[in-house]
Amino acid sequence: MKEIRFVQAINEALEEELSRDEKVYIIGEDVQAGTFGVSTGLVHKFGPERIMDTPLSETVIAGAAVGSAMTGYRPVAEFMFADFMYVAGDEIFAKAAKWRFIHGGTVELPLVFMASMGGYAKLGAEHSQSPESMFMHTPGLKLVVPSTPYDAKGLMKSAIRDNNPVVYLFHKRLLGLKGEIPEEEYVVPLGQADIKREGTDVTVVATGMMVQFALKVAEELKEKVSVEVIDPRTLEPLDIDTIIESVKKTGRAIVVDEDTKRCGVASEIMAQIMELAFDYLDAPIQRIAAANYPIPGGFMEDYVLPQTKDIKAAIEAIAD
Amino acid sequence: MKLKNDDLIFMYKTMVRTRKLDEITIKGLQEGKVLAFYHSSQGSEALAVGAASFLRPDDYLWAHHRGHGIGYILAKGGSGRDFLAEHYGKATGSCLGVSGFHFADPENGALGAAGTIGSVFPMSLGWGLAAKKHGRQQVTIACFGDGGSNRGTLHEAFNLSSVWKLPIVWICDNNGMAQYTPITDAYAKDDIADLATGYDIPAVVVDGMDIIAVHEAVQAAVEKARAGEGPSMIEAKTKRFREHSIGSPDVVHNQPRTDEEIAEMKKLDPIITFKAKLLEQGVLTKADVEKINNDAEAEMAEMDQFCVDSQIPDPSILNTLVYAE
Ligand SMILES: Cc1ncc(C[n+]2csc(CCOP(=O)(O)OP(=O)(O)O)c2C)c(N)n1
Repeated sequence: MKEIRFVQAINEALEEELSRDEKVYIIGEDVQAGTFGVSTGLVHKFGPERIMDTPLSETVIAGAAVGSAMTGYRPVAEFMFADFMYVAGDEIFAKAAKWRFIHGGTVELPLVFMASMGGYAKLGAEHSQSPESMFMHTPGLKLVVPSTPYDAKGLMKSAIRDNNPVVYLFHKRLLGLKGEIPEEEYVVPLGQADIKREGTDVTVVATGMMVQFALKVAEELKEKVSVEVIDPRTLEPLDIDTIIESVKKTGRAIVVDEDTKRCGVASEIMAQIMELAFDYLDAPIQRIAAANYPIPGGFMEDYVLPQTKDIKAAIEAIAD
Repeated sequence: MKLKNDDLIFMYKTMVRTRKLDEITIKGLQEGKVLAFYHSSQGSEALAVGAASFLRPDDYLWAHHRGHGIGYILAKGGSGRDFLAEHYGKATGSCLGVSGFHFADPENGALGAAGTIGSVFPMSLGWGLAAKKHGRQQVTIACFGDGGSNRGTLHEAFNLSSVWKLPIVWICDNNGMAQYTPITDAYAKDDIADLATGYDIPAVVVDGMDIIAVHEAVQAAVEKARAGEGPSMIEAKTKRFREHSIGSPDVVHNQPRTDEEIAEMKKLDPIITFKAKLLEQGVLTKADVEKINNDAEAEMAEMDQFCVDSQIPDPSILNTLVYAE
């Protein structure tokens, strides 16, 4: 095993897949220098033809990815901030997501849309969003939201090898997080949840940064409550079985999501738990998510995004 | 409009204030008072101040994102204090401290600012449409960078502004760089102005380091727009003295920009060259120059103190902001 930062884990995955398959290439704004560091340095090994800096043109970044994927390339399109993916809405939501389906399966779209997501950096409404629910809502897109360096690497490799459009959102505040990964090659399959901490009293389901929040709270509460933290790792496909199994054991569930509460990821997971494990619940499911506001900049961010104290209060209340 | 000495002095002062505000914002970022990020406008003051001086208060202004608009805001009559307080996350900020870095000052025609580069095109088209509908000879000044010009929305907006003869002055701050990407790798031609002429919008290329050249070109376009003759475009060639975002690498793709390169650019510093010109013409004396400098520094120190002393917003305002009554 070796210790590695989250950002480096993504970088390694990209490097390995670029080496493994010459159809893989990266396209986006400033990817050679790398705005967040995930693609930094790759140009030295793979050259500017495969680590392609583009103009400020998200629509064609997405379009080029979709178009070339249809011919067998495996592009990783980078959008810097997930917020900027809105600019390429038609290409992502209507083309990448639907074109295999509407053409009767005659074409495939093996591509990755990658971007940083999330808040806690006080960057305001247009640089802080966690738009997972929009992607999860859209049939045809897969959605990866890693929470550890190990998952970040293994899931990126699977995302690139997948024959479908995969949205891969890395949290900008997790990039410095260190974690262990094997020296040898590995992949993490899409659609397999991971139990990040075992427990018997309460199930907490979370992705991305929220996993780290939940783990911190679980540790703080360990004398009082035994918390099981489940990270689905991919929201589509969603490994609901692992979540349900846990809920059957604990009888209590809290879903934590950085995205807006209304119609968010947490709402969906909650609904599935209700459908599949209602008889096992000892208490109403709790949902911790961002308040139904745009994410403000400055100090006001704290009042909108979910905080560890909210998770703590919910666990204490539900376990009571 | 023929520029009088007082006008020249206003423009010089405003450039100096812009630079000082830029510097104090950078300092604030380094000290942790500025909460988000900052994209320094050093090198593009002549364009901002030349373009936005002597407009009507009710003219609409979409400031370029560099400097988060400061040169334009100050020239148009907006408040540097509101700008800085917003960056400090205080309730006294122009957006009540909930934006972090966006600026709005509707009384001075600055209706908002975007974090998404290229939003300027469709949104300013809306402001231009409103200006035409109002029938009060207002104009819309819509500013963007060479990077922003790579957004496809430019074409939709340029075309429609031309078809509808909207009173819009499109202004491009072409500093040759978009974050780490040079324009030579991002744009197929030399002049972005050619994109406007392609839609029958008259366009000129000016030296963006020369405030008088900028001002004359913009004023000519403003007069045409007020007279109902439709949009114009001005491309100003400027320089970006600092890295893209304070603290980010100063690179072209992944190659660092050299000190020599930056030093060469700084020889064109628009504040220094304009100062020399005004001194030579006798519009300013050395003593005037010193006073302008000192006044600007005192103003910034006062602003900083005011912003530090201001309260952070009461979170109860959030609920009042999502929907109008
Ligand atoms: C839609 C969108 N894409 C990318 C970015 C990130 N970004 C912010 S400024 C910038 C470069 C803009 O270049 P230009 O328009 O030339 O203005 P300059 O910063 O050089 O003044 C980039 C890529 C963004 N904010 N919005």
